[in-house]
Amino acid sequence: MKTNYHSPQQFFRQRRLRLFTVLVILLGIYFTSMALVNFQTWNSITKIPAGLIWLFHNFIPTERSISSLGQILYQLWRTLLVSISSTVVASLFSLVFAILGAKTTTPNEAVRLIVRFGASLLRNIPVVAWAMILLFSFKQSDFTGFLALFFMTLGYLTRAFTETIEDLDAEKLQALQAVGANYFQCVFCGILPEAASTMTSWVLYMIENNLRDATLVGLLTGTGVGFLFDFYFKSFRYDAAGLIVLLIAVLVIVLELTSTQIRRAIA
Amino acid sequence: MLKVIQLDKTYGSDKHSLQSVDFTAQPGEVTAIIGPSGAGKTTILRSINQLIRDDSGQILLDDQDIRQANKAELRKIRHHIGMIFQNYNLISPLTALENVLHGRLGAKSTIAGMLGLYSDAEKTEALELLKEVGLQDYAYQRCDQLSGGQQQRVGIARALMQHPKMILCDEPIASLDPKSTKIVMDILRQLAREKQLIILINLHQVDIAMEYADHVVGINSGKIVFTGPTSDVDDTVLQNIYRQTDTSESVVSANEN
Amino acid sequence: MMENSQPKPNIIQPSAPQPKRVSLVTRPRKILRGVLLGLLLITIYSLATLNNANLNLAEAFHSLGVNLSAMFLHPSVGQDSWQLLLRALVTSVSLALLTTLLGALIAFFIAVGAARNLSPAWLATSIKAVMAFIRAIPTILWVLIYSVVMGLGASAAVVGLTFHSVAYLVKAYSESIEETPQDTIEALKASGVGFWPIVFQAILPSIVPALLSWTFIRFEINFANAVAVGAAAGADDIGYFLFMAGSFYFNFHEVGLIVYLLLGVAIILELISMKLRGHYLKQTN
Repeated sequence: MKTNYHSPQQFFRQRRLRLFTVLVILLGIYFTSMALVNFQTWNSITKIPAGLIWLFHNFIPTERSISSLGQILYQLWRTLLVSISSTVVASLFSLVFAILGAKTTTPNEAVRLIVRFGASLLRNIPVVAWAMILLFSFKQSDFTGFLALFFMTLGYLTRAFTETIEDLDAEKLQALQAVGANYFQCVFCGILPEAASTMTSWVLYMIENNLRDATLVGLLTGTGVGFLFDFYFKSFRYDAAGLIVLLIAVLVIVLELTSTQIRRAIA
Repeated sequence: MLKVIQLDKTYGSDKHSLQSVDFTAQPGEVTAIIGPSGAGKTTILRSINQLIRDDSGQILLDDQDIRQANKAELRKIRHHIGMIFQNYNLISPLTALENVLHGRLGAKSTIAGMLGLYSDAEKTEALELLKEVGLQDYAYQRCDQLSGGQQQRVGIARALMQHPKMILCDEPIASLDPKSTKIVMDILRQLAREKQLIILINLHQVDIAMEYADHVVGINSGKIVFTGPTSDVDDTVLQNIYRQTDTSESVVSANEN
Repeated sequence: MMENSQPKPNIIQPSAPQPKRVSLVTRPRKILRGVLLGLLLITIYSLATLNNANLNLAEAFHSLGVNLSAMFLHPSVGQDSWQLLLRALVTSVSLALLTTLLGALIAFFIAVGAARNLSPAWLATSIKAVMAFIRAIPTILWVLIYSVVMGLGASAAVVGLTFHSVAYLVKAYSESIEETPQDTIEALKASGVGFWPIVFQAILPSIVPALLSWTFIRFEINFANAVAVGAAAGADDIGYFLFMAGSFYFNFHEVGLIVYLLLGVAIILELISMKLRGHYLKQTN
């Protein structure tokens, strides 16, 4: 950065010019996007209050929705199970890949690069694409949702675990090696116990995230609570759809609070 | 002239509370508040510009009672009271020049303040003030790249930018090495003399207080135990100020800070 | 998002002679094991009861393999044209840009109200609670809900995506604001500076890097969400074509091409984010 200016006025002129340029660029991006998406900002913003009122009016669960409660709760439970199991299974695989892919523990450089590349590939294929790919082969079954979430999670957790392992103190590992521990002893006695609570924290985070994504996947693949929402929504049973939204929100918040508690307890 | 009359403040516990604090500070003089840690030095200083609301008493700055001011008046009064801190409290990613100009924000309208619109005269003045504290070469440096002593001098320039009647200094040298301490204290004394400012300093280094202050206010457990010219401070007075607490404790806490 | 774990002091015990058996298991360890065991049991139960719709798994995986090779080895535009797909891709990126910018602007002002060091506790707490509720509802449901009011299409997509972005960014921004040291704010308050000048002149400059990084993360999320919205709510973007190719025409060559396009965008975003971070690091050093 330049540290000498002729006068403070010049300094502020340059600063203002930079700020102005950034602002113009952002406005340019905004209006270009607006035109490309064909979105009218004011028109839509003015509709928001009406939308919210409509929402509160129609999405409030009524007595009629209670009759669907059993079914909704069952599907919600299935969705929760799928989010948890896909995360846990993915975390087991990720653990192996992360040990192979972390700089400090990798058996060789080629393996490390393959793991890195693979994880990045899995992560960057959107969950919609996974759902589409899997839907054809696995039909409308829980398995489709499970696999879609599994592949996404595998990508994310492999990266997160790899970074967790690499963040560990390398000296501790060297100390173990100095004592004469072999590779597996190093990994199981030196790395896993150290990284366990951080990794668990990531697993909990992914479960929360997957619960949200599971709704989307369900919507696309016709399974779980997402499908049920779509069903009620399309048959104009907004009260029941509203009940689903409410229950999902409650479940997500409960899950968030629980994992915060667990994180605090294991830290 | 600053006149503090019968100031009282109680927290839940007895520590940090003030009992009938009375003292005056004159323009053109350096007034030091000394006493053991926890005696209430910071509470007094922060009561004066009402960062801490006290319970009762009077704080007269040029015969205006700061305690009676409403929100808008208080903002105006605060604008004429500079304050410098142990940890400088500058906005670290901004340049020294911008931090000095922050001294003018209190005098601006909300919009001008939000956008940081300063007049050319203000910009020139900010640079002048940096020159005065010996930092003209660092005007365009980010503050987190400056040393502690340099940051404190930026803090002083920021206070001067307010065109203050008084500068409150809360342990200004507690984090500084002896060389920077001397530079900062010299500047403060010179300001008192040349600009006829009221300089009120919290200190826990007695030797610095003896060297630089014209006037000493000694405080112990929230009560004033001595006020008078520095020349009147002798060992008996010091023992009285630091009684019950071991003097070495204040030295330890000085090093801790 | 993540709390860093403290190094566990309990792992290496001093080798001083001790008469009793040394327990290496502390309370956090026990809870950790309990949690992991619980998750494992749920997983086993879940896998055992997974509705597999009488799938022949071997056959299914085989067909998956065939499809994957069709996708990745022989991508093609299918029944759509390059022009159409690229236009749709641009729409998705625009949707993400638009909702991120709009969301960031709104979120900043709400975040000021939600930051504990700037606002009264009751206001901060209630804003945070409302935002947590909005966040808890998946983005796609917001879009669907708004599509009833505004009709399917761009407007509902933008409003739905923005809604969730705002809730997410308010949390991130207000936490960044709360990290600015109270002392620097107090220093300006002491010189009589009002609320908004402090926000814009003191707090904003201190947290710009954090804001940038959170906004960029949200942009990546919004791009993924934009694709999802296209697929599920029929906004005219790349997600819609992906959905149609995958579940309507069963054209996996086209699915493959679209996935490649999305990967391309993801790589570009990654590069930009690295550049931004590099630029910021250069400035601080």
